[in-house]
Amino acid sequence: MSRPVAIERIIARILTFGGLFSIALVLGGLVVYAAAGHPQAREIVRVVHNREAGRAVDVFTSLGDVWRALAQRPPDPLAITALGLVCLLVTPVLGVAAAAVAFWRSGDRDYAAISGIVLAMLVLSFALAAAG
Amino acid sequence: MSPLLLVTALFGTSVMAGGTGAILGLGGGILLIPILTLFFGIDLHYAMGASIVSVIATSSGAAAAYLRTSLSNVRIGLFLVVATVSGALVGAALAGVVPPRLLQLLLGLALAYSTLTTLRQLRVELPEPTEADPLALRFGLEGAYYDAALDRDVKYRATRVRSGFGAMFGAGLLSGLLGIGSGAFKVLAMDHFMRLPMKVSTATSNFMIGITSAASAGIYFARGDIHPLVAAPVAVGVLVGAVFGTRLMARLRNTTIRKAFVPVLGWLAVSMILRGLGIGLP
Repeated sequence: MSRPVAIERIIARILTFGGLFSIALVLGGLVVYAAAGHPQAREIVRVVHNREAGRAVDVFTSLGDVWRALAQRPPDPLAITALGLVCLLVTPVLGVAAAAVAFWRSGDRDYAAISGIVLAMLVLSFALAAAG
Repeated sequence: MSPLLLVTALFGTSVMAGGTGAILGLGGGILLIPILTLFFGIDLHYAMGASIVSVIATSSGAAAAYLRTSLSNVRIGLFLVVATVSGALVGAALAGVVPPRLLQLLLGLALAYSTLTTLRQLRVELPEPTEADPLALRFGLEGAYYDAALDRDVKYRATRVRSGFGAMFGAGLLSGLLGIGSGAFKVLAMDHFMRLPMKVSTATSNFMIGITSAASAGIYFARGDIHPLVAAPVAVGVLVGAVFGTRLMARLRNTTIRKAFVPVLGWLAVSMILRGLGIGLP
């Protein structure tokens, strides 16, 4: 039968690692952004108060946007922050995926199936979001 | 406001929201969205984007600690998440078909009733043992944790599983229809219907809200509502607050957490009724 404590530890480890890794990227991007004296650093207040002004320059709406901004030389520091935010958003999904595998390996087919259903619904929601 | 002051103020506010969210099982949106829009004057869409990031950050920070101490119950969480996420998907599909104001009014009245019944339970530290629910036995919806405030192990088992599952589906449906978070409803369903200890309800809600929010996070990201400069200090602050919140929560009594939860429920009830009546709130 299952070993719930072990499964809980696996999920906890993923959430901790995912959270810390994401926050490191978020903070790293912010620090580089501020240190580089980015031309817009002084305009943060204006940008966050005016959605359209911000949208054109700073807001990434797809992984492709983030990737292109990271591929620039030098990379856009806000893209590093955005990548960190994406990693944060994906962390709970990884937790569910790990739960599905851990329940399956421990022989708990019911909860392997339940985790699989949750995972499938999450993937469906991401697909719906990507389809617009 | 200077840029540095804005980022610092956002960080400080988020530490508070993360701490409160970790203790009460909420994402923090109920606190963050009004503060970001009213006090900081931030665009509502960016505030909502930052809120969804804050829910996941709270969940990652708090659930990891609660899972290690067995306060979060993975089985109960995953079992109920099936209801919430499917409810949210149905709700998103029905958005625009069902009149939201009527729903908000009905929801507000239901919450007002729940606030009154929760008030009557204020002194209940742990629920009385009840007859075993066959579904709870079938799916292992039970557990045990060490209660630091009571200095003893507490065993519990869910009851009225069908009602709890139905309430979770309803919570997901409303969150999909109205675009609101549903941490408070999750806590309410586990505390009220399934008669789980309050700490287990809020800790398990913390585990669940990360998963349910991830389901809608993609939509917010694709819409361009997640602005790095707003969401970044919020994410960091909320994570720090959640870590402190989990440490504090372990030492609190169930009755204390319930007392702190009642005003949140009351506020939600009032804001939903007002929105249902067409009186706008952020």
